[in-house]
Amino acid sequence: MSMENQHREDPHCENEQAETAQIEAQLAAARRAAMAPHASAQGAGEDAHLKIGVYICRCGGNISDVVNVEQVAETVQLLPNVTTAKVHTFVCSDPGQQTISEDILQENLDRVVVASCSPFLHEQTFRGAVARGGLNPYLYEHVNIREQASWAHRHDPSGATAKAIRMIAAAVGKLRHAAPLEQIKLPNHRRALVIGGGIAGMKAAADLAARGIPVLLVEKTEKLGGRLNDRGRVYPSERDASELVEELARTVQANPRIEIRLSSQVKAVSGFIGNFKVEVAPEGGAAEQRTVGAILLATGFRPYQPREGEFLYRGGSSASAGPAVLTLPEFIQLLRATPENARHLLVNGRAVRNVAFLHCVGSRQLDGVHEPQPDGRLNTYCSRTCCTTILQQALAVRRRFPKTGVYNFYQDIRTYGRGEENYYTEASKAGVVFFRYNGEEPPAVALSAPESARDGAISITVKDTLTWNEELTLPVDLLVLGTGMIPGAIADLIEQMKLATGEDGFLQEVHPKLRPVEVAVNGVLLAGAAQGPMNIQETLAAAGAAAVKVAAMFAKENVELNPFVAEVDPELCCGEAHCVTQCAYEGALRMVAKEVDGKQVERAEVNAGLCTGCGACVAVCPHRAMQLNGWRLDQFDAMVDGIAAGVPNQACGEELVRIG
Amino acid sequence: MNTQIDSSYRPDALVVGGGIAGLQSALDLADQGLKVLVVERGASIGGHMIALSKVFPTLDCASCITTPKMSAAAHHENIQILTNAEVEAIESRDGLHRVRILRKPTYVNFDKCIGCRLCEYACDTEYRDRFEEGLGAVRAIAVPFTNAIPQKAVLDAEHCLTCGSCARVCPTDAIEFDQKPRTLAIETEAVIVASGFDLNSVTVKPQYNAARSQNVIAPMTLERLLAPHGPYGRVLRPSDGKIPGAIAFVQCAGSRDESIGVPYCSRVCCMYAIKQAMLLAGALPLADITIYYMDIRAFGKGYEQFFQNAKAMGINFVRGKVARIDPIEGGDLRLHVETTEDAENPLEERTHDLVVLAQGMIPGWNPAQTTPVACASDGFVATPRLTAPTATTAPGIFTAGTAAGPKDIVDTIAEAGAAAIAASQYLFQKRETAVAG
Repeated sequence: MSMENQHREDPHCENEQAETAQIEAQLAAARRAAMAPHASAQGAGEDAHLKIGVYICRCGGNISDVVNVEQVAETVQLLPNVTTAKVHTFVCSDPGQQTISEDILQENLDRVVVASCSPFLHEQTFRGAVARGGLNPYLYEHVNIREQASWAHRHDPSGATAKAIRMIAAAVGKLRHAAPLEQIKLPNHRRALVIGGGIAGMKAAADLAARGIPVLLVEKTEKLGGRLNDRGRVYPSERDASELVEELARTVQANPRIEIRLSSQVKAVSGFIGNFKVEVAPEGGAAEQRTVGAILLATGFRPYQPREGEFLYRGGSSASAGPAVLTLPEFIQLLRATPENARHLLVNGRAVRNVAFLHCVGSRQLDGVHEPQPDGRLNTYCSRTCCTTILQQALAVRRRFPKTGVYNFYQDIRTYGRGEENYYTEASKAGVVFFRYNGEEPPAVALSAPESARDGAISITVKDTLTWNEELTLPVDLLVLGTGMIPGAIADLIEQMKLATGEDGFLQEVHPKLRPVEVAVNGVLLAGAAQGPMNIQETLAAAGAAAVKVAAMFAKENVELNPFVAEVDPELCCGEAHCVTQCAYEGALRMVAKEVDGKQVERAEVNAGLCTGCGACVAVCPHRAMQLNGWRLDQFDAMVDGIAAGVPNQACGEELVRIG
Repeated sequence: MNTQIDSSYRPDALVVGGGIAGLQSALDLADQGLKVLVVERGASIGGHMIALSKVFPTLDCASCITTPKMSAAAHHENIQILTNAEVEAIESRDGLHRVRILRKPTYVNFDKCIGCRLCEYACDTEYRDRFEEGLGAVRAIAVPFTNAIPQKAVLDAEHCLTCGSCARVCPTDAIEFDQKPRTLAIETEAVIVASGFDLNSVTVKPQYNAARSQNVIAPMTLERLLAPHGPYGRVLRPSDGKIPGAIAFVQCAGSRDESIGVPYCSRVCCMYAIKQAMLLAGALPLADITIYYMDIRAFGKGYEQFFQNAKAMGINFVRGKVARIDPIEGGDLRLHVETTEDAENPLEERTHDLVVLAQGMIPGWNPAQTTPVACASDGFVATPRLTAPTATTAPGIFTAGTAAGPKDIVDTIAEAGAAAIAASQYLFQKRETAVAG
């Protein structure tokens, strides 16, 4: 498809027209900036014959509704070395990428700039397009004129436009000093470590082993199965959880490619993708050292444990002494332990005539309504599985003990999954009574006054929004708190592996759709509820999604890493080791003995696998001996020139102040 | 991408459907070195997702997330894509699936077409653009949409007047008026059914009167109205181009309703309604926006917080079932609502100028008749195995995404990965056994 050049009329542009004069002035300044001879123009690596192509994205209208992209193209075309400047509606689309590849071939471009969204989204996309055109993918610069210009300055179109021009000028400057780079290839240790032996961990391990990949499966308890052990029947299949756990456990135990370490924990993790060094220690035993290429975190969740006194809760085991308040998992155990032929559901030796289920305990918490958790956090999220679990249990009570009344206090019934809505309709048909409360006004729970105790030990008062906010008080014998999920207790792993957690405290993926099972650390993947509440089917799917990424990673002989790592100039290094002192990544930088002119000296050396390219070493080296590939110091100089060479000086009016 | 596929082509796996589920499965298989054929019935890959404006809960623009996956699949050396093609039948025997594929005529030779669109510019016949939900016009021969893949013109035989203008301007002589449907038979060892969903009609509940008012619209129509590159570039109501000032979302208008045969929850409608309400609030700051709902099902990661943000933005959430929608003069609509929160007015009449009906998700394809894959009572692909959520009733055939029940994009992508590992381990084990045996 050919590049479009018409500027679409848009309501947002009306403001722009009103500000035409101002824009013109700013653009004029920006144009002069773009054309100003740069201080670095005579610098090393400069080549007057370089051809640079600049592609500016409208992003539908996300950019072009604010930034005048045609004016940007027109202006940056004037920058030295820029031979092509084009605008496209979606540069990331196939035709957009095709244009880049074709231009490289047909117009002999040497370097490419794309000004679009965050590099987080599409830097890789465009490196690919550049490579398909036959150019080294690192002769490419990504400029973010969406998040950093159009979105940040949506009420200042002219400012956003001028900023976009300067940012592109910086990228063009940087590219003039760019050198082709090659990805770092490192050996790929074809073995995965799976942390956690619940269903997510077992499923991921089984999937990988069945695909031919050796797995080390580490479980901290003495048993596989995690939270599904002793869970009873699971929805929507209504088969016993033990069937599922046992089937998976048999699979992993029978596969010779899986080594299982029970009652063991991962004590230390170092290294990088393809080459992690891990220490796994059994309880009280000596640690074994292993090398693995990938790590899957299947560390799961913890059930929410109510605070002492929260809705009269006194802890499951002490309930015999106080009011009958149980958490959902405790209730499931109670019901399972009740003989099939029992005529009553018994609590504290007394028959339960009516039971209340209170939804969203420890979930969907609101600021100012709920007390924060000990760590100061509110559990603002929905735990996803409690609604259906409660209805499953409520239905079981009604079916087994038809004389027992079941009351359900909820905000929204979230039986979203396949086969789940059925529990809601069946529970309604079976006579479960529903009361709906507003999240800002959760039901109040109190001990009944002694005279009314025969009706039930606990009274629940609710403003019922199903009956026009009528305030109702119900006496019950047993209150079940619909407790949800909270993040697993894995602070040590988070610390060791430098993992990110979200506001909800669960492990954070890079992007929910683009990289949903990956974390910021390459080679580390999320499997299951460690990432957030999930039901069984979703957990199994998430484990598979993590496993497939590992399978793809191991399909390659080598791990390929970005080449943005530090490099030592042995001519300039004086062996003062400032860099080694400052380096935050163990093993990334060290001093090695070398012979220079017949003398034994020490020089810095970089381990490319461990270097993260943070640049701390570059900043502290007094001799400019450290450089970051892809971000060399002369490139920074050129970028600063590009941005600032022509900043209009307020005091001098139209005069230009040159920096550098 | 390759259009020159014949029966000698033998992919390791075949993926039915080129939406986000199929593309993710294909990529996850291809990245392991397996050869994959994607069969898509539409003129472009990208599925429903490529037509969305933004996606919840991040509010990323949908194109920004979809196009890289489309492009990655199109450029992957291990992936071949057939568009305008439908899987007619699968016959499985001895661990091999014989797949019959119908290649529908496009009347354009894809090997010759360079996507220059000269034919499109020359064509005089226009009809309602299905990609824009009928709000814009498209020529009888056209590249499907801006970011479609492949960028090849397709002729719509139903609307073409065979005037020949396109053939006269085509620089590569790619127009072929005499194309006929062709059948392609291929063999493969594994199949992933990612045939996605359809939506039941907005007219499924006659009391909502979508047939009588253009201003009772489908959510996909609103997606196009909200998309920055949509038909009008702004939100205007269909009947008269007025900027709407009081917009209503009627939830569960095609789901959770036994009377229309969709008793299940469609799982995404609460969240997209909240998202659309937020986008509308941004586009039309003065508009009054109300969501009529039974339960707000904001269950996913970050979804509840998204819902709370919408409330804080001033979106009205009214718990109540809309009983009837009557068109009134001026194109406006009167909603008869039973609310449960106002004792004085349990039965209310409220007037809105644009109404969005949350349609239900229904299966996009029924494989039960022509393939060994069985469907469950809800019509979606059955996945009976407790420990293998993507395994169908047929060995070597897996499923991903909404083919196996309503699902949002996040859950679809996870499941697509799970189907890919299931298919690849099936292939690996088959081959390992073959070598050992």
